[in-house]
Amino acid sequence: MSEKLKPAKLLVIASKAGRVTKRYPYDEPLLSPDFRGKITIDENLCIGCGACVNACPPNALQLMKDKDTVVLRYFVGRCIFCWRCVDVCPVGAIKGLREFELATNDISDLYVHVVHKKAKCEKCEGEGATQRMLYYVVQKSPIVEEYLNECPDCRRKSFIDSVVKRRTGGVSE
Amino acid sequence: MSKLLKKSLWVFHLNTGSCNACDIEILDVLTPYHDAERFGVKLVTSPRHADVILLTGPITIEALPKVVNAIEAAPRPRVVIALGSCGVGGGIWHDTYSTIGGVRGLQKILEERGVVVDAFYYVPGCPIRPEALLYAVAVFKGLVPKKVKSEIKHAE
Repeated sequence: MSEKLKPAKLLVIASKAGRVTKRYPYDEPLLSPDFRGKITIDENLCIGCGACVNACPPNALQLMKDKDTVVLRYFVGRCIFCWRCVDVCPVGAIKGLREFELATNDISDLYVHVVHKKAKCEKCEGEGATQRMLYYVVQKSPIVEEYLNECPDCRRKSFIDSVVKRRTGGVSE
Repeated sequence: MSKLLKKSLWVFHLNTGSCNACDIEILDVLTPYHDAERFGVKLVTSPRHADVILLTGPITIEALPKVVNAIEAAPRPRVVIALGSCGVGGGIWHDTYSTIGGVRGLQKILEERGVVVDAFYYVPGCPIRPEALLYAVAVFKGLVPKKVKSEIKHAE
């Protein structure tokens, strides 16, 4: 190899070897079929239960609770693409994509918000689960409880009241 | 996309406590297979020669003064490209005691110190694919359109 090659010889070798460089931004990327990219949340299926939030290792998925909304926020910039959320989602609302071209000049491009409405308590108009989650529970168990429209605090209160009534021998309605 | 990035980018690779996966991918971009020198990207060994600082890792508190020094040493207009999940949002380490949680924590500190950075760019991925970095360079030069968009979905 120490001898110096002449340009003509070099050209012959180069033409035999061919060209290895991929013309990537104008061409197809080299993706394997099991590559994991960013996720997408289907807003027509999501019930806002927060199972994905518990499973997410870097807290890229977060639930933010407001007075009458629950917002599921997905920050792509922190996601490690482990797809645990895809595995744990009870309704299959989260799907994994093979998308990796996420470069941006504005960090607000990397946020996805899913806004849920909160179910209102009949008694105190307090906090509760999302409306979608109540529908999901009713669908899963056909017995409709009478306290379904109440918030957890009111349920606890009414349960204690009924127990006290039973203890003291009162007639529960 | 940007007037700052129209000419050849000379990049300085700054590891601020990353796991080396992003660093390996950066080196992969410079191989003949994905030839980043098509776009004029060249790795330089000193921030004084660099236009762009490629920042990987969640910026540990131990590395923070050196990071500020390195960014201050780059001539203006200086651009910082945050790479990987750690660089953009802190990644797995976004709320640990020994890191400042990515480039957004760094922005505040640089403002306090009076170090001006003309533009910040973000390339998420864990680790970034070599193609993702090539795509980022092409987006910043305005060769291909930007794909990500912020979305607000309403579940009725």
